[in-house]
Amino acid sequence: MSEDVVIRIEGMWKRYGLPIVPALRRGWRALRGRGPGDEDAWVLRDVNLEVRRGETLGIIGRNGAGKSTMLKVLAGVTPPTRGRVEVRGRIFPMIELNAGVHPELTGRENVHLLGAVMGLGRREVRAKLPAIENFCELGEWFDKPVRMYSSGMLARLGFAVAINVDSDIIMVDEVFAVGDLSFQNKCLASLKDLWEAGKTILFVSHSLDALQYLTRRGIVLDEGVVVADGAPAEMLNRYEERVFRSIRESKGSQGFRRRVTTGQVSIESARVVDMAGQTREQIAAGEPFGIEVVFRVARRLEQPLVTLSITNAAGVICTWNLSVEDGLELPSFSGRECVRLWFDEGMRFANGYYEINFGLRSAANFETLDRVTGLTGFQVVGPGRARGILSPPCHWEWRQAK
Amino acid sequence: MLSSAYVRSNERHESARQFFGLIRALVVRELTSRYRRSMLGPAWAVLQPLFYMVIFTFIRQVLGISSGKTPYVIFTYSALVPWTFFANAVTRCGVSFYVNRGIVQKMSMPREVFPLAEVVTSLFDFLIASVILAGMMIWFRVPVGLSLLWLPVLVFIVSALAMGIGLGVAAIGTYKRDIVFGMPFLMQFWLLATPIMYTLEKVPEKWQFVYRLNPMVGIVEGFRSVLIDGTAPDGGLLMISFAGVAVVWAVTWPLFRYVGQYFADVL
Repeated sequence: MSEDVVIRIEGMWKRYGLPIVPALRRGWRALRGRGPGDEDAWVLRDVNLEVRRGETLGIIGRNGAGKSTMLKVLAGVTPPTRGRVEVRGRIFPMIELNAGVHPELTGRENVHLLGAVMGLGRREVRAKLPAIENFCELGEWFDKPVRMYSSGMLARLGFAVAINVDSDIIMVDEVFAVGDLSFQNKCLASLKDLWEAGKTILFVSHSLDALQYLTRRGIVLDEGVVVADGAPAEMLNRYEERVFRSIRESKGSQGFRRRVTTGQVSIESARVVDMAGQTREQIAAGEPFGIEVVFRVARRLEQPLVTLSITNAAGVICTWNLSVEDGLELPSFSGRECVRLWFDEGMRFANGYYEINFGLRSAANFETLDRVTGLTGFQVVGPGRARGILSPPCHWEWRQAK
Repeated sequence: MLSSAYVRSNERHESARQFFGLIRALVVRELTSRYRRSMLGPAWAVLQPLFYMVIFTFIRQVLGISSGKTPYVIFTYSALVPWTFFANAVTRCGVSFYVNRGIVQKMSMPREVFPLAEVVTSLFDFLIASVILAGMMIWFRVPVGLSLLWLPVLVFIVSALAMGIGLGVAAIGTYKRDIVFGMPFLMQFWLLATPIMYTLEKVPEKWQFVYRLNPMVGIVEGFRSVLIDGTAPDGGLLMISFAGVAVVWAVTWPLFRYVGQYFADVL
């Protein structure tokens, strides 16, 4: 392989477990006169990928898309079922950084163990111990048993050791999920130092901020297939679009992604509409729009409360409206109802994909009759690339400081 | 069936260092953490063989088992010490991957690290139990001689047997836990099928041949010859034990190597 390529994956398929087990199962099915069985057990399908030295690659995908499996195969923890994987140089997975930690041992004692697990020599660990102690900012806790640590403290301990491991390729899988913001920034800064020192970095994250800070290339994994490869911001859009599409597709059979219901409410339709009452999937930033939900209630419901909220693709609640607080005193419900929530002109969401969540409660006894997330969704399209939650009218000013 | 391959370059010289570093770290972790919340601490290493010794001494009086001119207490304890080491090492090997699943799922390393670390840890318990044995030998004025030089050979062979069987138990037990659940029962049976409570001569003539195929027979008898009788171990019995170790390794190691690749998938 070319001098520059440090990772090459060719036609790689991965299925978990012993390879003979599916073969035996197929044989058994054939014996009993049934057709060939589940071919959908594949976690990764026909993955082809090349990563060059010094490249930073973001891996984006939903839960269960195969991101962690890909990192595990690259780390050599589990073998590929088919295809070829070549790794040049030392590869280090910054995944579950506390593997092997013993709760009864102190932080200091565990550092020796973590160092050995991560491939550091005894002398190296001893030499780097002050730096590690300093980095994880545990103070006196460093000499207390790890079972007394909070999850954030434990994460800091693992990361402090990991950052001292000298390797050529580093794989990071959302280790920043725990730990406070300042520590997250510290981790990002250390990773950037490694990148600037010429290391290759593979980074699994959904945080656009982190991806843009650290990576120059991204791939989108969906159901084990690499579906897109390109600039990180573009990949994030592709990813959100896929999530958005799948929500719309699964909606047909009332199979809402997460629904808590008493079964007394059936939702007939939910859509985003414009001022003319037309169904819209896309709205322009700043354009007024409404959310309409038509539902049927099986019994008489006194003092009903309707809630509608909008979350962005990162799961952040952008708006949350309660009918009664917006001045809508509803009469009792007992049939087919239609509610609309209007966002007037001037409500400017940032570009991206949004999900709508619906709730129906009874104010009389606080009973929740229905609660659906991902009822429907819409996309906001505006000029420029800026993201975030809102894009309010604003302007920049510039002058030279005296 | 399409082929698959995982190739990694320039790592060879580092893996040996990692191998021994990790064994060391795992043994240190086990030894330092194990008794941190216990009152009796390392005394536990001695309690198990002592407990059996007391029971056997009682049963012996009931059944009228003779141990010749050797005091029965030392006769049975000298066999119980290597036996306890063997049984504990095998049992610990069986769960070593489950216990260390966090590491197995994360880093790639030779899979033998974990069973080997368990055998080494058990050796420390073996050492502690041996101190009591030495005390007993002094108390009963057992004469010792140059035959003690055989001890390293015997310790090696019992360790190799424990590791070999441990590899097999780990290979199967990591997939299906049944063998792990069955271990205490299996070890109990094996204990009774080894001349620990009684002498080898007590075994009926027609069973002697089959009985001696048990590789632990040669090992236990070897420890007795070396420690109590002050003679070299019986050559024939020792050869059977060696052959037993070779057969066990020939079966379990390839099995372990093959299924071990997929441990991370099932933990």
